[in-house]
Amino acid sequence: MVGILYYCIGETGYLSTLDWDGTSPTPTSVGLQNYQDILVDPIFWQAIWHTVIFFLVTFTAQTAIGFVFAALLHSKVKLATVYKVIVFTPVVIAPATMAPVFRQMFAADGQLNWFLDHVGLGFLSQPWLAQSSTAMPVIMFITVWNFTGLTFVLYYAAMGQIDPEVLEAARTDGASNLRTLVSIVWPGVRSTTVALAMLSVIGALKTFDIPYLVTIGGPNYATEFLGTYIYRISIPSAHVGYGAALSIMLLVLALLGAIAVAARSNRKDGESGV
Amino acid sequence: MRAVFEARRPSARLLLQILVTAMVIPYLFPLVVMVQGSLAGEGWGNYRAVFEVGTIGTFFKSSVIISVSTIIIVYVLTMLAAFGFSKLRVRRKEVYFWMILAALTLPEVVLLTPLFATTLALGVYDTYWAVVLPLAALQIPFTVLIARRFVDGVPDALFDAARIDGASTFTSFRYIIIPMTRPIAAAIVVLTLIGSWNAYLLPLVLIQDPAQQTVTLLPQFFVSQFSNDQTKVLASAVITAIPEIVAYLCLQGLFERGLSAGAIK
Amino acid sequence: MLGSSRIWKRRPLGFAAAIMSGALVLAGCAGGGAPAGGAAQNADQGSADSGEITWWGWTPDAAPAEAYIKAFNKAYPNIKVTFKKLTIDGYDAAIRPALASSVGPDVFDVAPGAANGSVDIYGVNAIDLKPAVEKALGADWESKLAPIGVSSLKNGDKLAALSVGSVFSGTVWINKDLFDKYNLQPPTNYDEWKKVCATFKANGVGCFVQGAAQTAFNEDTLQAISNNVQPGVWEKALKKEVPWTDPTIVKALTLWKGLFDDGIMQEGALGTQQYPDANNGFMSGKYAMVMMGSWYMQYSTVEGMTAAISGAGVADPKPFTQLPIAFPDIAGTGNVGSLYGDADFGLAVNQKSKNIAAATTFATWLGTSAEGQQAVADILNDIPALVSAQPNWDTVKLVNPEAQQPALEKLIADAGKSDEPRLATVVADLQTAIGVASTTVAAGEATPEEAAATLQDTASKIK
Repeated sequence: MVGILYYCIGETGYLSTLDWDGTSPTPTSVGLQNYQDILVDPIFWQAIWHTVIFFLVTFTAQTAIGFVFAALLHSKVKLATVYKVIVFTPVVIAPATMAPVFRQMFAADGQLNWFLDHVGLGFLSQPWLAQSSTAMPVIMFITVWNFTGLTFVLYYAAMGQIDPEVLEAARTDGASNLRTLVSIVWPGVRSTTVALAMLSVIGALKTFDIPYLVTIGGPNYATEFLGTYIYRISIPSAHVGYGAALSIMLLVLALLGAIAVAARSNRKDGESGV
Repeated sequence: MRAVFEARRPSARLLLQILVTAMVIPYLFPLVVMVQGSLAGEGWGNYRAVFEVGTIGTFFKSSVIISVSTIIIVYVLTMLAAFGFSKLRVRRKEVYFWMILAALTLPEVVLLTPLFATTLALGVYDTYWAVVLPLAALQIPFTVLIARRFVDGVPDALFDAARIDGASTFTSFRYIIIPMTRPIAAAIVVLTLIGSWNAYLLPLVLIQDPAQQTVTLLPQFFVSQFSNDQTKVLASAVITAIPEIVAYLCLQGLFERGLSAGAIK
Repeated sequence: MLGSSRIWKRRPLGFAAAIMSGALVLAGCAGGGAPAGGAAQNADQGSADSGEITWWGWTPDAAPAEAYIKAFNKAYPNIKVTFKKLTIDGYDAAIRPALASSVGPDVFDVAPGAANGSVDIYGVNAIDLKPAVEKALGADWESKLAPIGVSSLKNGDKLAALSVGSVFSGTVWINKDLFDKYNLQPPTNYDEWKKVCATFKANGVGCFVQGAAQTAFNEDTLQAISNNVQPGVWEKALKKEVPWTDPTIVKALTLWKGLFDDGIMQEGALGTQQYPDANNGFMSGKYAMVMMGSWYMQYSTVEGMTAAISGAGVADPKPFTQLPIAFPDIAGTGNVGSLYGDADFGLAVNQKSKNIAAATTFATWLGTSAEGQQAVADILNDIPALVSAQPNWDTVKLVNPEAQQPALEKLIADAGKSDEPRLATVVADLQTAIGVASTTVAAGEATPEEAAATLQDTASKIK
């Protein structure tokens, strides 16, 4: 398997030095020209910028919400099963199925505006997906909605590993709930947080389906990401060489991001390994 | 399991309840809209229409076979790999680890063409194996990453003690790792289930036999070139999601029991 | 890229991976599975009137496919055809390795342009069907087939696929029942259109709905407006004979902007997609007008309309009378009624098939025989490829035959005469650029002049 993977990476690397439409029998070799073009491509930088913001916001939100949920549901809350199902269910639903539902919800005459109008917040109501300024937050919301369940499941599992005696001891010493949460539970699940951070970096760079399905990267590139850009370049536009160069950039950035997270976590706790 | 939050006073309990309810509302809202959508138009008739497609039993059977096989492979390999990466002294293990992790950055589709050739060469094309093996391979980087972190959290002292008592590596694995990692095992099983149950592209391409198609192909009966019966697509999605939610709940129960049993010290 | 109807089809079941697919199959390991050209081709392989063949496609739907095969088996009872329907998103990912292998389908769908199933890509895996067509229709076969279907499905000199039918755009469809309810006449010019919209709005009904986020459909509307300003300029611009900064195009963009400013376009149009959003809005009676093409004919039948309304989420669906009208004369020039179209899809025969003869029989039958094309015509989905085929109005049950039949007959007749291309063969980069022009103008982020200049700038860089 790993062999095939690396064959693919090598192949992509080769393609990235071509100017090729994917079908012509005579691709032109252009050396590193594609990479030079990328560095001055405004849409590429816009996509990177979107990706960074997107990562920061969605990762923070997912982590915070997933963590708090896991902590709350590890407590004696009634109907815990119902809450778990609600948070977990979005994970199993294909974004393609939900895309039209979300477009309807956030439409000018959609359920969200209807709700706002009825709770006296009608001045906030607007065509959310039709404006460059509001489309990105909506995409972020959908992503958080979709993936918090994953964060939750993993934190919930990780909290199960925390030694109950430590919690008990802290309580006996009179530590408050919040204090326990911050100084015992949060450090106790740190390894999960690091793993999730690495996954989120890679995930953010690969982000494709939600912006593509909900807004097609629009309006006016407001929700263009590296993933949607690679798709647009490689498939409909058939600039295979340029698309391959973008894919290589994605691979490099994803690995760098993951390594950065790992390095940071190592420095912090000084243990060996990732 | 001791509660992470302790709320002894009723007012505090109520507060917690209100907090968790408020947090869950944004998650619930789209689900409600989705279920409403699946009941729009012909109401329950949408669900009836999905069942009337007639192949739903076959689809479910295939998906169950594929998911269960994938889960078993992923679980065994992940646990072994996590144990190896975390607790054993293997030369250059970090290099291998990062090589596996790099695989995470590749979407499955990059592999489609080589996989087609490989499955044909191995003679497993058009069998469940053609789907199970790649699915497992694609899931493992992710689960190893998660599980390794978890195994890291198992105190080394336990292994040293076991070694002094004369336990072999396998014995340590069997009697320390397996019980101690139950919570993450449940999470891994759930995640692998989602990955394999929702797999769409691989079964579509690598299995031809109509009797071996999977549930993810259900909605395509209602999406056509010139129309798109959103109500029935949503009904299909609800039907497809239910087994996963039930499986999740069962596993939750299982690993919560496992926790009390697993706290061996 | 976007063939007619194929635009929205690429979205619906776009399971994450499925779409990402294409991208990285091409970007990634395409080299590994590149179709091996020059594979042995043997037209004598198999028997021409018996055998078992498989057919892969993203279209037609299961029901019409079954109808086609059933009609085919009346003529050729010993050829068993199995249709495997793939989704739009999964098609390229599936067909590419399949055609490279020895177990691919015998017959497969292709389409003009660079979208899914591109004839430019997969045509190399197909046999030349010209001899078979000559045998079926005679030496003057080209005069019997719609020209748009023949020219757009060639791969080099080879007739790689036989067009099954075409789709045309340029029409606006109206909900006649809503117009009647408020005593309105279909608008023929800008003032009437504005008044109609004001009346609808006053009664809480949406007027004109466009999924402007799906920019390929904006091109339909822009092409209609441009043809209204000055016929032929748009086509010339596509062919690079005039620049996109031509006053006609700038005027068209200005008028397009007006649709947003003057309350004709629905609010939030830039966040709406044509499918399923705008389609469902029209079908559920929330909007009275929508810009759709000839593929909308199928909703003129009781059955088609009922299913579409129910699919839009309306309980107890009651079919309404929908009619195609010419795009209103908003430029005030009198140039109305333009239609532009593309071949919808064609059938190609896999050169590695072990049943080439039987596969050719099927492709030729569906694309050129009177019975095959009758079956196509009766579905009211495509304009048939065989010029002489017409829907059998005795068996097609329209919602309101009195009003609809003449309108549909006229649409089919007019479309058959048109040779103006729509967008399937327009290169994707240009389509993207037109899309950007349409949305930046609509959002007020660029003036029509600026947008036209940007568009021309991009277009001039396209090879």
